[in-house]
Amino acid sequence: MHRGKGMKFVGDSRIPAERKPNIPKDYSEYPGKTEAFWPNFLLKEWMVGAVFLVGYLCLTVAHPSPLERVADPTDAGYIPLPDWYFLFLYQLLKYTYASGPYNVIGAFIIPGLAFGALLLAPFIDRGPERRPIKRPFATGFMLLALASVVFLTWESVVNHDWEAAKAQGQIVEGPEIDQNSEGFQIYQENGCINCHGETLTGGAAAPSLVGTGLSPDEIKTIAVEGVGTMPPGQFKGTDEELGKLAEFISTLEAE
Amino acid sequence: MLNKIYDWVDERLDITPLWRDIADHEVPEHVNPGHHFSAFVYCFGGLTFFVTVIQILSGMFLTMYYVPDIKNAWESVYYLQNEVAFGMIVRGMHHWGASLVIVMIFLHTLRVFFQGAYKKPRELNWMVGVLIFFVMLGLGFTGYLLPWDMKALFATKVGIEIAAATPFIGEQLKTLLAGHPDIIGAQTLTRFFAIHVFFLPAALLGLMAAHFIMIRRQGISGPL
Amino acid sequence: MSKQPVSRRQFLNYTLMGVGGFMAAGMLMPMVRFAIDPVLAEGAAGEFQTTNQKVDELTSTPVRVDFSYEQQDAWYTSEVTETAWVYKDENGEVVALSPICKHLGCTVNWEGDNHKNQFYCPCHGGLYEKNGNNVPGTPPTAPLDKYPTKVKDGFLQLGKPEPQTIA
Repeated sequence: MHRGKGMKFVGDSRIPAERKPNIPKDYSEYPGKTEAFWPNFLLKEWMVGAVFLVGYLCLTVAHPSPLERVADPTDAGYIPLPDWYFLFLYQLLKYTYASGPYNVIGAFIIPGLAFGALLLAPFIDRGPERRPIKRPFATGFMLLALASVVFLTWESVVNHDWEAAKAQGQIVEGPEIDQNSEGFQIYQENGCINCHGETLTGGAAAPSLVGTGLSPDEIKTIAVEGVGTMPPGQFKGTDEELGKLAEFISTLEAE
Repeated sequence: MLNKIYDWVDERLDITPLWRDIADHEVPEHVNPGHHFSAFVYCFGGLTFFVTVIQILSGMFLTMYYVPDIKNAWESVYYLQNEVAFGMIVRGMHHWGASLVIVMIFLHTLRVFFQGAYKKPRELNWMVGVLIFFVMLGLGFTGYLLPWDMKALFATKVGIEIAAATPFIGEQLKTLLAGHPDIIGAQTLTRFFAIHVFFLPAALLGLMAAHFIMIRRQGISGPL
Repeated sequence: MSKQPVSRRQFLNYTLMGVGGFMAAGMLMPMVRFAIDPVLAEGAAGEFQTTNQKVDELTSTPVRVDFSYEQQDAWYTSEVTETAWVYKDENGEVVALSPICKHLGCTVNWEGDNHKNQFYCPCHGGLYEKNGNNVPGTPPTAPLDKYPTKVKDGFLQLGKPEPQTIA
């Protein structure tokens, strides 16, 4: 590179005024082992990218992204599930020595160790060898970690009730509910809301109360004696309130 | 005409070396899938970048309709998905892209690991790469809450409880994330929105710039 | 072979641009369509809102008619109140004028500030004739907008205000 005396610059800048010819090397003249990034190699990369994009768009069209019903913090029966790439962590926390009093182990120490080791891998595996077979500890630990992540994810997937998960999140078109009505107040005070939800459309623990087709008397019986998985003695108010509640629920019709 | 404009700018700013460096560097044979098909493993990094670009673009477009507010968030997502033309596709791209980017970055990490490509002199680049991985997971976690549907809310509750298990600063960390000591609600949503849309992407762009500059400085690791 | 043969490098460059263009289009086409959707959306034209003004009670003196309706703005529904000045002209036709001053959008009043038989805008002293025509020499440069009107069960219905031209 030309330096020092005799250099001419553009204005008072540091940009050299003398133009160098701007012709790139033509790699086609040198059939060797390397090739130029632009355009030769980039073309191959972008072709891969284009194929990838087509597959990606097909996936997008074939599987619309899911949207469950609007968040309802009062629905205590909902069983949450994280995105699939956090499933292994979610599953880990189900095991005895990773939860309860040992929660800190599952939630902090194990992930911390794993991610810390990943971050500091160059300083743990310091030998000059690069082939996986020549550095058995690094390869071994990585395979072990990989296997446990796959195993935990798998366990979490097979133990999850996907149909119930789908049902509990579905968008349900509920009726317009007057939350100031007497019936709704009674519904709320007696804790029915905890399982049957704010919109009375049910949840994971209880069915929807909308459009049941039951008469007020039948509803009275269920509220007091329970039905199915619903235990008896849920209703704790007066008979007059029970009547109002039954009247309220029996009139709910889906729109 | 275009050449003249280019020359005019180039005379003043000397921009040619900038892109010449990127365009003219030679790519060795062992990473070129055109020479050895097995070199496709070197594509995962590039595909991660590609999906990241799609994520940034689709995310920018989604914020044209989305509001980070517990009363309207779900309504706006429902509206943009069902009422706006191509809303299903754009939201789908962002949704599936979030999964694909994790898959790609995971494969890229495994490729680099099993090839021992993180060894001297590339230790720093590996660490930056792992940090990018963390940022991506953070983006996935914060983005999960934004539609404000059932699974968003309850998965975030679990996630924040996991963060609360951190020794000594767990409670503070939980409040910092949720914006309130007990409630996962309005303040959590705005916080997650800010983190998802401004803080983490800013960190991501910085880290990616460092990642790429280091690759250009050091070149691709040699064949095994 | 033409006089300027396409070199290998040029060919690769063109192909690269083609593939790059395909990728950019594949990515951006849905997103751009998504973004410009409001521009392409069909306007909800011809929607008439019913007021509680009986047409029989209208005289040749403009009266202020307030009416409100539910406005659906994407996911947000709100109650919007609008106002019109309504009277019957010489032929007995109902005329409904928008009170939005064409100067800077203030609200005009019938015979405000003692301007007999005129609409007066308090902001900058704009004046309009009874038919909505702007009085030359005052700030407004166009006549007041006019509501399309309809009558249903004896009540007045108003559509979307339209600009009117008075020669």
